[in-house]
Amino acid sequence: MSARPLRVVGRPVPRVDGLEKVTGRARYVTDLVLPGMAHAKVLRSPYAHARVRRVDVARAGARPGVFAALSSADLTWCEPYFGPAFRDRPVLSIDVARHEGEPVAAVAAVDEATAEEALELIDVDYEPLPSAITLEEALGPGAPLVHTGEPLSGHFADLATLRPQPGTNVCHRFHFERGDAVTVLAGADLVVEDTYRFPPVQHVALEPHAVLAAWDETGALTLWASTQNPYSVRVELARMFGVPLARIRVIVPHLGGGFGSKTYAKLEPLAAALARAAGRPVRLAASVPEAFQTVRRCAARVTARVGFRHDGTLVAVECAADYDVGAYADIGPRVVQKATYTATGPYRVPHVRLDARAVYTNTTPGGAFRGFGVPQLAWALESLFDVAAGRLDRDPVDLRRQNFLAHGEEFAPGDTPIDGKLEESLGRAAEAIGWTRAGAADRGRGVAAMLKASLAPSVSEAIVRLHTDGSVSVLASAVEMGQGTRTVLAQIAAEVLSLPLARVTVVQPDTAVTPYDQTTSSSRSTVMTGRAVQLAAEDVRDQLLRVVAEALGVAARDLALEDGAVVAPARRLTYTEVLVLRFGMSGGELIGRGVMAPGRTAAPLGGSTPFWEMAVGAAEVSVDEETGAVRVERYVSVADVGRAINPLLLEGQDEGGVVQGLGHTLLEEMLYQDGHLLNGTLLVYRVPRADDAPPELECHFVENADGSGPFGAKGAGEGSLIPVSPAVANALARLTGVRLRDLPLTPERVWRALRARGR
Amino acid sequence: MKIHVAVNDRAHVLEVAPHALLLDVLRDVLDLKGAKRSCDTQVCGACTVLVDGLAVSACTYLAVETDERSVLTVEGLADGESLDLLQRAFLDAGAVQCGFCTSGMLLTARALLRENPAPTREDVLHYLRGSLCRCTGYRKIVEAVLAAAETAR
Amino acid sequence: MLRPFTLHRPDTADEACALLARLGEDAAPYAGGTELLLLMKLGWLRPRHLVDVKRIRELGDLTGGPRLAIGATVTHRALERSALVRVHCPLVASVARHVANVRVRNVGTVGGNLAFADPHSDLATLFLTLDATVALVSPRGRRELPLADFVRGPWETARASDELLALVRLTPWPAGTAAAYVKFGVHERPTLGVAVALQLDEAGPGGARSSGGSVRVADARVAIGCVSPRPARAPAAEARLVGVAIAELEDVAGAAAESAAATVDPADDLYGSADYKREMVAVFVRRALRIAAARARGAEPAARFPHAVVA
Repeated sequence: MSARPLRVVGRPVPRVDGLEKVTGRARYVTDLVLPGMAHAKVLRSPYAHARVRRVDVARAGARPGVFAALSSADLTWCEPYFGPAFRDRPVLSIDVARHEGEPVAAVAAVDEATAEEALELIDVDYEPLPSAITLEEALGPGAPLVHTGEPLSGHFADLATLRPQPGTNVCHRFHFERGDAVTVLAGADLVVEDTYRFPPVQHVALEPHAVLAAWDETGALTLWASTQNPYSVRVELARMFGVPLARIRVIVPHLGGGFGSKTYAKLEPLAAALARAAGRPVRLAASVPEAFQTVRRCAARVTARVGFRHDGTLVAVECAADYDVGAYADIGPRVVQKATYTATGPYRVPHVRLDARAVYTNTTPGGAFRGFGVPQLAWALESLFDVAAGRLDRDPVDLRRQNFLAHGEEFAPGDTPIDGKLEESLGRAAEAIGWTRAGAADRGRGVAAMLKASLAPSVSEAIVRLHTDGSVSVLASAVEMGQGTRTVLAQIAAEVLSLPLARVTVVQPDTAVTPYDQTTSSSRSTVMTGRAVQLAAEDVRDQLLRVVAEALGVAARDLALEDGAVVAPARRLTYTEVLVLRFGMSGGELIGRGVMAPGRTAAPLGGSTPFWEMAVGAAEVSVDEETGAVRVERYVSVADVGRAINPLLLEGQDEGGVVQGLGHTLLEEMLYQDGHLLNGTLLVYRVPRADDAPPELECHFVENADGSGPFGAKGAGEGSLIPVSPAVANALARLTGVRLRDLPLTPERVWRALRARGR
Repeated sequence: MKIHVAVNDRAHVLEVAPHALLLDVLRDVLDLKGAKRSCDTQVCGACTVLVDGLAVSACTYLAVETDERSVLTVEGLADGESLDLLQRAFLDAGAVQCGFCTSGMLLTARALLRENPAPTREDVLHYLRGSLCRCTGYRKIVEAVLAAAETAR
Repeated sequence: MLRPFTLHRPDTADEACALLARLGEDAAPYAGGTELLLLMKLGWLRPRHLVDVKRIRELGDLTGGPRLAIGATVTHRALERSALVRVHCPLVASVARHVANVRVRNVGTVGGNLAFADPHSDLATLFLTLDATVALVSPRGRRELPLADFVRGPWETARASDELLALVRLTPWPAGTAAAYVKFGVHERPTLGVAVALQLDEAGPGGARSSGGSVRVADARVAIGCVSPRPARAPAAEARLVGVAIAELEDVAGAAAESAAATVDPADDLYGSADYKREMVAVFVRRALRIAAARARGAEPAARFPHAVVA
């Protein structure tokens, strides 16, 4: 088939779920009502670390209107621990509570008020224990141990190689090296070294976690869950409750934001347990403060040494990173491993020595958050790059360009070669920010670049069904959380089958209906799920062509699809007509299947990334020196995306990524005192508001159709966030001469640094 | 307590407890799920509805206060299948992502435009300062509000 | 979610006070509820009775005269839009416009704001520069006391549990007073609020608007809020400013600001470290004075500071 211009892919078509969202008809988990539904409330530990000696739920359970009151002692009929890396997280505390907010007991009652009152009838004997809140406390000599005993491994094959350090709070260690970094650094012309800190921050999706769980009379479980990976939740629940996968159904309506906070099981096991005990559907809706106690980003302390030659060639990187994964590992070990693998960023570095540790602390568990460990490292490495540029008396843009990996170059043996043109992104960012133009004296500019691998190996499957009226259903389990995946998948199917977008329906993720998709995260949906959808649609296309070819006695290659019809030199058959031909009657459907499962490879992490996410950010900032308040006046993000399936949605994604990045850069930090989270509500946890967005914000895309995804697409959505903090800090340093190493760059922090510098 | 309230131009007579919050009455009694519970502390604006044209945080507003008053929720913006200019503008500008803040944003913008049909960007930012969005970065939301104002004039 | 309570809706202040007297600690006055209902949701307050004061007619009055009387149930929005306020105390309208967010302003009342005595209140700080007094009514009668005596500390006032805050009275500044209110902070509630008002002595050639004239500060008010347990005036700073020519205000602004900063009693908390807050008080008193001085000269400075609101 000849390449014909794309009709719907690459167009800024309106999102397919927009209408329901602007009319208030879109349904999220907390909007759902089931007959007889009970309401759950959770009693949570007030201590960061405590022995839980006794939990007495008897009075709560006896209260009229209460259907179930549970402590861990009641969970005799299920496996009480879960977790994707380590099965270290109990549904309800067992003997010990390891963080403030850990669920200790739970009730399901006729309404929320009754459930709240029932919580007050639960007696718990706590014996507070010494706690380790910071990395220093957790790693210091004699540190209180968050976990004792043998860990069980969770459900990911790539984490069969988890390397905890027994007798410590280190639950995983990752080491990666090539060449001889230590020796080369010892002899390098210039070595820059420093320690950078990235704070714990929370996703603050406007919709906190929510689950509606219901068992039926046959012992099958159905859940409506605000989850980014229904299949991961399913496998967790199957193992915990001893139910075959086929009898657990996880349905995902719209998600009110995810950003990684809703990956892997969180409250689903508890909701399922309550529903089982209550004998009726149970709705468990977390509040925003509870979300702060459920998951957050892994904080990090990164010490890096970077070596250069006089001529600016980057020769070696040594990096030691400690990630605070909180009280339960969640996906922390993979965050640590995967991010550290690309700690060197988008540069060619012959000598590398990278060490990272995932460290338990008695705080909210750290898990996945947009960027997946890379923002923490980019904060350090991209800052150091500018420090080096200063010492080498080189332009930071130029120094980066000199060291960038080239298109097609190897990142690591066995892994996918670099599939984008970093210097094109850098060039466009520099141009857009006016890098070489003289700037106002009260403004400073900075840049930063990023590189991130996507999850590999992973699996995405899709089904496309062509109905007798020529309309199409797309069955895929990529979760719509605002990023527009339902629209993009519809566009892909519509493009392949030459149909108007309105004729394509993407079914909501439902493990009983839509086939396996590993996860909606890692910027992977357009490439992996999208490719599966593309293959499935092509399968349908091929079936259509085969039917007509056979009927007309022509070669399939002489046929084409056009506007819902198969076109032959002298005939045109609508899809409806083709189906009649196929089935000899009115009825039936064509079903296409697509599978994306590149499988394990020899790459260092066990799979080759399906694409490299790469982007550049450039910031122009001003600072009120008397107060330390930094203002980002202009920001440019350039992402190398291969093909923007929907440029409007992509731009929206990246604008959001930049502003979310400004959150941890300037405003956000979870603050603990004596193990207690001081700012777990929006009254005192400050996320960016409308007037925090840079007055000038541009998001650009490099599109060279060089990705492995549909129509040459690559993934996006994290690249816009990752460079923000170093770009802003680099701009601030260029403006004021002050280099900050701890985020967020609050006015007070900047003010102190400016004072230390001297006015 | 018995209240007479017009919700989206429809009269209702409801028996509500004094402590019932408007958000819960709208969502659970009237099945109007568009307004959302998020921060529950009047900071985020996801629960915004208009009472006699004024934006309020329904999560912290007693239902009894709406007696003899009119309430507008997101479900009342469109006229049948005909979208309000703001809804149209949000769709066209790509100002909707996860949608959880959308109802609050639309109603807040509606209140703004009724009060000030020709807002400057500053005016829009002033009004939307109390409406949080974690997905969009706000730029397209602000553009949409300005575009709707433009279209209306 | 709220726990059940009985809602009383008295039509008169007497009825309201009688209810408060009878129900004691079990009752709370209720107007906008923006503070009260929030605390009740958090479980920190559990009144079984709410006394809704919004039907008491006189509490909704906003009247002029030599002094401006703002009834307790006047909302921030009403204050912002009141023609009377805009004419007699325009800065009050500007400050009201920036309290919290638009939804809180639509519902939250002046009386609730003052009676609640959140240490981060903008209005309380500003009102101190307007010789504010609050009127309290109870079964025992009526008393009026200076706002400075009414607000005792964080969330603590002189209101007895059977008393109702009926209104706050402000003495508008004389015509020609140059004033400014600046608040600064990253969080929902500001880290500091500064109100300055410079009453000008119009003697001298050309009057107040003459840039070359010897217009002087006849009287100065400086109030600082949010950083100490309660908002307060800074008399030493005020004294520094009296008699200073507007043209020379820049020269003493710094000293006046340092003096004001020395009076505050900040603590280390989420809103900032004590030393940072103290320094920022100096910075923003200086800035507020500069803005007031510019306004005295008939100019409106385009001053914009990140994370600060200038009213």
